[in-house]
Amino acid sequence: MKRILASVTDGKGFDIGLVLLPLAFLLVLSGLPLVYNVVMSFQEVDMFSLGTFARPFVGFKNYVDLFSQPETRPILLNTALFVSASIAGQFLIGFGLALFFSMNFPGASWLRGLFLVSWVMPGLVVGAIWNWILSGDFGVLNFFLRETGIIDGNIFWRSDPHYSLWAVIIANIWLGTSFNMILLSVGLSGIPKDLYEAAELDGANALQRFFTITLPMMRSTIGAIIALGLIFTLQQFDLFAGITSGGPNNSSNVTQYWAWDLSFRQYDFAKGATISVIMIVFVMLASVVYVRSTRHEVRG
Amino acid sequence: MGIRRYAMLGVFALASVSLSALSASAEDVTISVWSLDRDIQPAPNLINDFNKLNTGIKVEYRQIQFDDVVSEAMRAYSTGQAPDIIAVDNPEHALFSSRGAFLDLTDMIAKSSVVKTENYFPGPLASVTWDGKYYGIPKATNTIALFYNKDMFKAKGLDPDKPPQTWDELVEAARKLTDPAANVYGLAFSAKANEEGTFQFLPWAQMAGGGYDKINSEGAVKALDLWKTILDEKLASPDTLTRGQWDSTGTFNSGNAAMAISGPWELDRMIKEAKFDWGVALLPVPALGAERSSAMGDFNWAIFSSTEHPQEAFKVLEYFVSQDDRMFKDFGQLPARSDISIPATGEPLKDAALKVFLEQLKYAKPRGPHPEWPKISKAIQDAIQAALTGQMSSKEALDQAAEKIKAVLG
Repeated sequence: MKRILASVTDGKGFDIGLVLLPLAFLLVLSGLPLVYNVVMSFQEVDMFSLGTFARPFVGFKNYVDLFSQPETRPILLNTALFVSASIAGQFLIGFGLALFFSMNFPGASWLRGLFLVSWVMPGLVVGAIWNWILSGDFGVLNFFLRETGIIDGNIFWRSDPHYSLWAVIIANIWLGTSFNMILLSVGLSGIPKDLYEAAELDGANALQRFFTITLPMMRSTIGAIIALGLIFTLQQFDLFAGITSGGPNNSSNVTQYWAWDLSFRQYDFAKGATISVIMIVFVMLASVVYVRSTRHEVRG
Repeated sequence: MGIRRYAMLGVFALASVSLSALSASAEDVTISVWSLDRDIQPAPNLINDFNKLNTGIKVEYRQIQFDDVVSEAMRAYSTGQAPDIIAVDNPEHALFSSRGAFLDLTDMIAKSSVVKTENYFPGPLASVTWDGKYYGIPKATNTIALFYNKDMFKAKGLDPDKPPQTWDELVEAARKLTDPAANVYGLAFSAKANEEGTFQFLPWAQMAGGGYDKINSEGAVKALDLWKTILDEKLASPDTLTRGQWDSTGTFNSGNAAMAISGPWELDRMIKEAKFDWGVALLPVPALGAERSSAMGDFNWAIFSSTEHPQEAFKVLEYFVSQDDRMFKDFGQLPARSDISIPATGEPLKDAALKVFLEQLKYAKPRGPHPEWPKISKAIQDAIQAALTGQMSSKEALDQAAEKIKAVLG
């Protein structure tokens, strides 16, 4: 008894306790809901059976039904486009800004801090503001493009099926760029300066230094950022709610918004869960990348 | 000893008095009410007034947000914690009544001296009806009509006292009123991909003989073609597809649209914001003399079947109904009743508009009622958007919607 107690206060028991606590936390708050969601996707659920577990199992019916719907393919493609374009935009602009601010000109850190404002703003607020900016008749963006002579007629960003998804992507890039920039800045400052000095002495130009030192040294940071970006864009919901509501005609609909629409607008909870399961698979892939690219940090 | 005896007697006397008092308070029944009404809206105020009457029924109020009404109610009902009374949006009513979640009030209404079905507009009454029985009482109602800018009518040579009567006249007027140079569209309405789109579209389909259960009929196709014409010719902003009614009518108030289709909830803001003379007209019909129709909005009262005090809950509803004549004066809402004459507000524009809305209400039709209304509505929204974005013809889009709706209707 005494030994066990001693081990809990100082010893192996203590270590195990430390591990078990967060594990239990994770299991209750993430694991169980996840399993519940998967189970739900194989059941017939309506709002009145929402409170019970005893619901009829229907096998893969929800999945089959889902994939036989005409809007499923375009929505999956939209999601792929949204995720890849958002990540590409956020990453490239964020990297550019990080490099720019790493030049350490006067006020650089101040300005860098200011950029974080966009990340601090709640998504719904950002969505509402971009909703105005992208408005067809009186939007600021159209006004700007018209005055600079880039376009002749107004572009109806939110209502033209050719542009609606891009409208949300633009807003999302704006929202996520600063987060990318900060993480990349941290990565940049971790690269030892003497590497650059040595390369410079050897006659490497700026481009060569970037491709042979900066990029390889940043590999794990970049991997982590892209994995995080994938997770963040896959859970980006507020902008869709704020700007296009997935319309017109699903042209800007993505899986995460669709799952919500099915569950809470059409009360088809089983299908909503089914989409979530499909998304979980993708997020898990991203998590694997994230964990792998940050693993060395743990080993120190 | 003697004193003690008297004291004992006194105690008994007191006890018997307080016992009767106690039994009264033991009978005090608590009824819980959920609705989305804020402090300036009917429910909390009526409940305060009711509690002051000391009827032996105590009412507790909880406000829920619009988006949460159905999900909260479902969750509460399925876990056995439902309130006694709830206010639900009328297209959602059938969902609950068809599943036995709401109490059948038919007998109580038949016996009631306050609630009389013949006093109600047919539309709201139909929305609480399921299988020939009444599962609720209409709380308030609203509908849509055509707002038009009289000053712009004059400026473009149209008669401000003759708003468009037919669909052709509407398109004709919109063409004349549209002025891209001045940033003015002829018409503002909402074809958004949510319930608002369905709410705005169904009246047009119904006027032409269509309806949610015959959405690909000739009339409904014609109605969608009408919308398509309006959008294709840029008589309304392309953002009509993604803008709700409130924002669309905002462009009317700011003078960027000459006509708007919306409901009485716009009146107060319009009086404040619109710096021009405006009027309200009935929704134009396909041809003179054709059947009129309009949308019907707003909430219904219902009692959950799980209540332990159905009689008391119904008494509370009777009180609400007895106060219906205050609805417009105190809370700016239209009672769902045809027997109440709404007193003038003293604001001429508002009074004139009210008259039109009351006339329009006679033709208001509920959406459904059907327990799976959201799915039906979604099919209609998808069809509207597919046709208006030019991805399908009106006929193709509505055929597809009809297919989906048929699957729901079974």
